[in-house]
Amino acid sequence: MKKLKINGKFFNVNLSDDTPLLWVIRDHIGLTGTKFGCGKGICGSCTILLDGNPVRSCITPLKLAINKEIITIEGIPEDHPLKRAWIELQVPQCGYCQSGQIVEAYALLKNNLNASDNEIVSIMSSHLCRCGTYNRIKKAIKRAQSLLKKEG
Amino acid sequence: MITRRDFIKISGLAIGLIIAPSGFQILKAEEIMNNNLKPVLWLQITKNNELIILSNKSEMGQGVYTGLAMLVADELDFPWEKVKVKAAPASDIYKDEKFGSQLTGGSTSLSHMHEFYRYLGATAKEMILNAASEKLNISKSNLKVKEGYLWYKDKRYPYSHFWDYALKLPIPQEVNLKNPEEFIYIGKNVPRIDVPEKVNGRAIFGIDVKLKNMVYAVVERPNYFDSKVEDFNKDDILKEKGIIDAFPIQTGVAIVGETFESLLKVRNKVKVKWSRSSIEGYDDNKLQEYYLNKLNENGNIARNDGNVIKVIQNVNKKIEETYLLPYLYHGTIEPMNCVANITDDRCEIYAPIQAQTFAQKVAMEVTGFDKNKVDVYTTYLGGGFGRKSNVLFVKEAVEISKKLKRPVKLIYTREDDVKSQWYRPMNATILKAGLDNNGNLIALYHKIAVPAVFEWAGRPSKIDRAAVEGIENMFYDIPNVHVEFVKVDLPIPVWFWRSVGSSHNAFTLETFIDRVAKLSHKDPVELRLKLLSKNQRAQNVIQTVAEKAGWGKTPKYGAAMGIAYHYSFGTHVAQVAEVSLDKSTGIVKVHRVVCAIDLGPTVINPDLVIAQVESAVNMGLSAALKEAVHFGKSGPSNLNFDTYPILTMDEAPDEIEVHIVKGEGSMGGVGEPGLPPIAPAVANALFWGYDIKVNRLPMTPDYIKFLIL
Repeated sequence: MKKLKINGKFFNVNLSDDTPLLWVIRDHIGLTGTKFGCGKGICGSCTILLDGNPVRSCITPLKLAINKEIITIEGIPEDHPLKRAWIELQVPQCGYCQSGQIVEAYALLKNNLNASDNEIVSIMSSHLCRCGTYNRIKKAIKRAQSLLKKEG
Repeated sequence: MITRRDFIKISGLAIGLIIAPSGFQILKAEEIMNNNLKPVLWLQITKNNELIILSNKSEMGQGVYTGLAMLVADELDFPWEKVKVKAAPASDIYKDEKFGSQLTGGSTSLSHMHEFYRYLGATAKEMILNAASEKLNISKSNLKVKEGYLWYKDKRYPYSHFWDYALKLPIPQEVNLKNPEEFIYIGKNVPRIDVPEKVNGRAIFGIDVKLKNMVYAVVERPNYFDSKVEDFNKDDILKEKGIIDAFPIQTGVAIVGETFESLLKVRNKVKVKWSRSSIEGYDDNKLQEYYLNKLNENGNIARNDGNVIKVIQNVNKKIEETYLLPYLYHGTIEPMNCVANITDDRCEIYAPIQAQTFAQKVAMEVTGFDKNKVDVYTTYLGGGFGRKSNVLFVKEAVEISKKLKRPVKLIYTREDDVKSQWYRPMNATILKAGLDNNGNLIALYHKIAVPAVFEWAGRPSKIDRAAVEGIENMFYDIPNVHVEFVKVDLPIPVWFWRSVGSSHNAFTLETFIDRVAKLSHKDPVELRLKLLSKNQRAQNVIQTVAEKAGWGKTPKYGAAMGIAYHYSFGTHVAQVAEVSLDKSTGIVKVHRVVCAIDLGPTVINPDLVIAQVESAVNMGLSAALKEAVHFGKSGPSNLNFDTYPILTMDEAPDEIEVHIVKGEGSMGGVGEPGLPPIAPAVANALFWGYDIKVNRLPMTPDYIKFLIL
């Protein structure tokens, strides 16, 4: 048995060390907000936080998550400025990549609330959105940035 | 998680309002049941006074749930925050009469369904008024409806108060629709109904469906579509941990496992002996040669005005260009997937599909069941772009579940997804023009060698509609026009890819128009306006985009501007791209795109239109700059996003500005028409700004550097 801490809750899983975290989270724990896109850490749809750092869960083995804090899209509060900004600016289209985008943006602003436009674009360019919602994602991150600064 | 019970709660209730699309005929659930049809319903008002609407169109990001629900909620006068939308299960009741099928495609959802959904709302409103009038014993003229409540003087009742009774009364056969000035939602930027759950990770896509006792499956595929399984190392595979079964199906070798990760582990151990393909060894070079040679053949003539060949022979000024455009992959970030559950007497399918009727049909073929034993439930689609109207993946899941007699979730890995093909067709085109002594374009010759998309979709015809769309029906006023289609027949399946034939035909025609402009010393905007002098709507979008982009002035950001115009799916679109080129790296940067779109007199939700155009521009730009499926000696060779890169945020235009121009006529589409003009607009900017002729796509740095030399 391995103990995992996801979004503040503990889960026991009986899986081999090399099981990709993505499938642990989606299929064994049942949190399906984290998505499968490419299986090679390229598209970013499976992004989660491991001790606050964004990682691609499709290429992260279970053993690396033991004794660490996992945050998924479901673990980011619904009233968080990022989620509010995402709704305000009507960012998602098909929505499939958006969990990964939001989780990445969450880490980005947590690490650097004053991230410049270039820094935002540079980090977010590691995420693919086939619907091409990039312009709105960028605007939503900037909106969340100003909300976070205002609300502290 | 979606359970069968959830769906039944919505789709299986015997009470409710049923309106069949044909002629807005209205039936009660009981009548449907008596007629031996599945009980289904279009809308329901719950005890908590919530409105649930069933959508017969798939939500794949285009916002159709929102658009359709706005129409109902507007006529019914219902508060937006209490409106919910569910996917209609597969049923004849939910067919789009104009398609004769339950299908989402062709940028037609709102143009086909908007009247029907308005009638649905208006009918429900009338039913509530009738019920309230009887129950309260008050004349209808003294009753009012507003925001989900029925009002009598200063007393109000939620609609739900009367709903059960309303269902017992005769359903009104004639209802009045609102006048546009009475609209509360239509025409406004009402927030999307699906956004909150997509922001919170709660939205259920096909890949999220989980049934009790479910196992997982993948399909090992051949390099070429016409190869079949001859043998494979079944015994070795079955020895692997977590593997339940492995067997050939129509398209390859199905492998079934307890978990998806167990299947991932076994993939590189699967050894299949495939039958030889008829195109073994057709790599990029061979394919290019093949397509270009096809242009030497005689095809079928789609349009022949005047005498193009003679005119071109006799004029002094003429021009000719040959184009070659690649196979494109849809690249939905949610790969193909399907949950199928086949028992002895029933088949259930849960999947992200654009084509419910076809999904039901393939499941009937595989299982031998009647229609009423095959349930098809549609989830959210993590991207569609046409790909998910091909239901072969559903058929595969049904085949596998049928063998196992238990629920199976088939998932394509990314590599499987690319390898499964059904691409936007590759094509070769030759364009010729003849100009008179005054430089007027008087003859246009267009010949395209391309696979027939509609034939792959089971609708063969002499002239494949997709092959010549946007050319055969173009509005350019040219006295002599010749359009010819040479069918390419290769076992590389092709399919509808966002904007279909217009995705390539707009590129060839619109870049060619700029070549003609240069030859005749005309400004590209001016030339287009002249050629479109008989089409006011086309002129409007071109003039709007030219004015908003500052055509003729120094570009704000980029070094050059290019324009393109295209009519597709009932909608006129013109775009101007501001582009710069780094000659040392060959990198093309698109800084700003200005669009003008005329989709007719009615715009249900302007922000949805803007979002669709933004999306189409980015997807079109992605194809223009980066995308091509490459073939090596053993089939498609770039099987994941590392080798089939798509546009990223840093490559997207910094600004996409969308101007909606209201025009006359009927309602056009919006999901696709924003795509065709972007590639030619960018190429035209390079042509005027850098003297580069782009006749092939994508505009990769290597290709651009090659053109500079």
